[in-house]
Amino acid sequence: MTTTAIITLVAVLVIVLGVSMITRPRHSSTVDFYLAGQRVGVATNSWAICGDYLSAASFLGVAAAVYVSGLDGAWYAVGFAAGFVPVLLLVAAPLRRYGEFSLADFLGRRLRSDAVRLHSVGVVQLVILCYLIPQSVGGGITWELLVGHGLFGFSPYATGVLLSTAVIAVVVAFGGMRGTTWNQAVQFMLLLAALLWLAAVVSADGFHYGEAVETLNSQPLVNPEYVDGSWEMTEERNAASPDQPAVFGEPGARYGQLGQVALVVTLGMGTAGLPHVMNRYFTAPTGRAARTTTVWVLMLVGIFYALAVMLGTAARDLIPGAVSEHPWLQELTVDGVLRVPEHALPVLGRIYGDQAGLGLIAAAALIAAMSTVAGLLLASATSWGHDVYERHINPRATQRQAVWVGRLFTLAAAAAAAGLAIALSPDAFTPAMPSLVATMVTWAFAIAGSALTPVIVLAIWWRRTTATGALAGMMTGAAGAIAMFLTASFMEASTLRELLAAPTLVAAPAAILVTILVSLGTRAPEGVEADWAIMHGTAADRHAERMAQLTLRERRSRKERGGAR
Amino acid sequence: MTLSPQDDGEVRDTPAEVDAAFRTQRRVAVTYFVVFLAVVAAFPVLDMTLEWWLESRLVGNLSPGFLSVAAGLFVIFAGIGIAAATLSSSVEHRMLGSQGDAEPDAEDHDFRREGRRP
Repeated sequence: MTTTAIITLVAVLVIVLGVSMITRPRHSSTVDFYLAGQRVGVATNSWAICGDYLSAASFLGVAAAVYVSGLDGAWYAVGFAAGFVPVLLLVAAPLRRYGEFSLADFLGRRLRSDAVRLHSVGVVQLVILCYLIPQSVGGGITWELLVGHGLFGFSPYATGVLLSTAVIAVVVAFGGMRGTTWNQAVQFMLLLAALLWLAAVVSADGFHYGEAVETLNSQPLVNPEYVDGSWEMTEERNAASPDQPAVFGEPGARYGQLGQVALVVTLGMGTAGLPHVMNRYFTAPTGRAARTTTVWVLMLVGIFYALAVMLGTAARDLIPGAVSEHPWLQELTVDGVLRVPEHALPVLGRIYGDQAGLGLIAAAALIAAMSTVAGLLLASATSWGHDVYERHINPRATQRQAVWVGRLFTLAAAAAAAGLAIALSPDAFTPAMPSLVATMVTWAFAIAGSALTPVIVLAIWWRRTTATGALAGMMTGAAGAIAMFLTASFMEASTLRELLAAPTLVAAPAAILVTILVSLGTRAPEGVEADWAIMHGTAADRHAERMAQLTLRERRSRKERGGAR
Repeated sequence: MTLSPQDDGEVRDTPAEVDAAFRTQRRVAVTYFVVFLAVVAAFPVLDMTLEWWLESRLVGNLSPGFLSVAAGLFVIFAGIGIAAATLSSSVEHRMLGSQGDAEPDAEDHDFRREGRRP
C-alpha cells in the first residue's frame, strides 16, 4: 500500500467518523434517529440530498457511461438530474406536510391500510437492495485501484466492499439521521470539489471540449471486448442509424430514439420513489422548505452532472495519448481504451495528479459510495424498524427499543449488500454490460418509478385513490418492471430491448391505469378532506414558521438581556 | 413529531380554501410537467428532423444536440424548478392562511376558487 493510499483512507475515515461524532444524536428518540428532529435547514438538506443521491453510479458510473458510449452515456446524467423535476412538481411539499417517517408509512396512513404499508415495505426493500449492491461494488472497484491488496485473505475487491460497507454501517447505526445528514452534506462538498479540481487541471492542460468531441467524432466508436480468453476491439453498433458507424458525439452508440426517452423517463420517474432520497424530505421543517430544497438540489446536481459528462469526454480523448508516458496504463487499457470504464475518473486523476490525484478521486469515489450507502441503510432501518417492528410486531416498544431495532436492521442490510456485491464481481459483467454500476442502479429506478411513484403521486393528487387500487397498481408496476428488465437481459439489441431494459415508460402508465380502474371499482375512501387539509394546506407550515420566529426572537432578547447585565 | 394543523385552531385552513389552492397547484404542476416531458421528448424528434441539430456548431465548437445533453437540459430543469417553485409558493401565499386576518367574503372566496387575486 502506498503512502498516498494510506493518507487517503485515513482522511476519509477521519472525515466520516469525525462528523458522525460531532453530530451524533443527543436523545434516544425515533424522530431524532430517523428524522434528525425534523429541523434540517434548506442549505444543509440540499447538500445532504445531493450527497445521498450522487452515488458511485453518478460519480464513477456517469463518466464511465459517457466514456464508453459518448453522447448516449450522457443520457444517464440527464435522467438522474431530471428526477428532481417530478419530485418538485408533484411530491416534495405535500409529502413533507403529511409528515410520516417513510414512504411506506406515508402510503399506509394516507390510504388507511396496513396491507399497503407492508407491501410498500417489500417494494422499498427491493429498491434499496438494487441500489445498495452497486454502491458496494463501487467501493470494491475503488479499493482495487487505490490499494491493490486484499486483507485477511480476501481479494482487493472483496476487501474494499467489506470495509467501505462496514464503516458506513457503524456510522449510520450510531449516528442516525442527524449524523448521516451532516456526513452527506460534507461528503457532497468534497465530491463536487474533486470534480472541480479534475475539470480545472484537465482544462489548464489544454483540454478543449469542442475539439475533443470533434476529434472523437472523426472515427467510429470502438471498445474492448473480452472474447475467447483475450481482449479485442469491437466497433459499436449504431442503434439510431444502423447504416452508419456509431460515433462519440452523436446519438446511437447505445440507444435508438425510443431508448433515449425510455431511459430518461425511467430515471426521471424513479427518483420520486427512491426511499433514501424521499425520506430526507421528512427532515425538512416545512413543506415550503422541502420545495425550496429541491430547487437547490436541481441546480447543484446540474453542475455536478455537467462536470461528470465533460470529464467522461476528457478521459476518452486524453487517455490514449497518455499510455506512452504512463506505462502503468498498459495493464488497464487495450489500444488506449480502458477495459473497465468505471476507471475513467481515477485514471484521469492519476495522470494529472499522480498518486495524490488518484488518492483524491479515489477518496471522492469512496465517499460517493459511502454517503449513498448511509442513506440506503437508514431508509432500510426506518422501513424495518419503524414500519414493521414499531407498527406491527411491537406497537408498545419504547423509543429506546425501536432505535436499537433500527440499528440492528442497519447492520443486517449492510451485511446482505456486501455479500451480494462480492458475489456480483464486475469483472464477470463488464463485457456484457457497459458500466455495470449505472446499469444496476437503473433497475432500482425502474422498480421505484414503476411501483412507488405512480401510487405516491395518485395518493397526493387524486382523492378517489383507494387502498385496494394502490395495492393493485403497486404490484402491477413492480411485477411489470422486473419482468421487463429481466426479459431484456436475454434479448439481442433491438428497439424492443431498449424499451424493456428501461421499463418505466410502459410499467408506470400501466400501474396508474390499474390503480385508477381498481379504485373506481372499490368503495370511495372516507375522511380524505382531513388529509387534503394537511397535504395541500399550509397551516402547519405557517405554525412552524411562527414558532421558529418566536424562538429566534426569544433567543435574541435573552442575548440582549445577557449583554445588558 | 409533526405539527398538526388540527391541534392548532388559530392557523387552520378552511376546506374551501384548501380545495381552491389544491386545484390551482394541480394546474401549475401539470402544466410544468407537460413542459418537462416535451423538453425530454424534443431531443429525439430534433435528432430525426433537423440536420442542423447535430451538424452545426455553437458555443465551444459543440453541436446544439451535444450542448443540450452536456449542459443545456440541466439549465432548463433548474429553470423549470425555479419557475414552478416560485409560482407554487405564491399561490399558497395568496390563497391560504386568510383566516388569521379576516373571514373572506363571498366575492373574495369566488376569486380564490378561481385561483385569482381579489
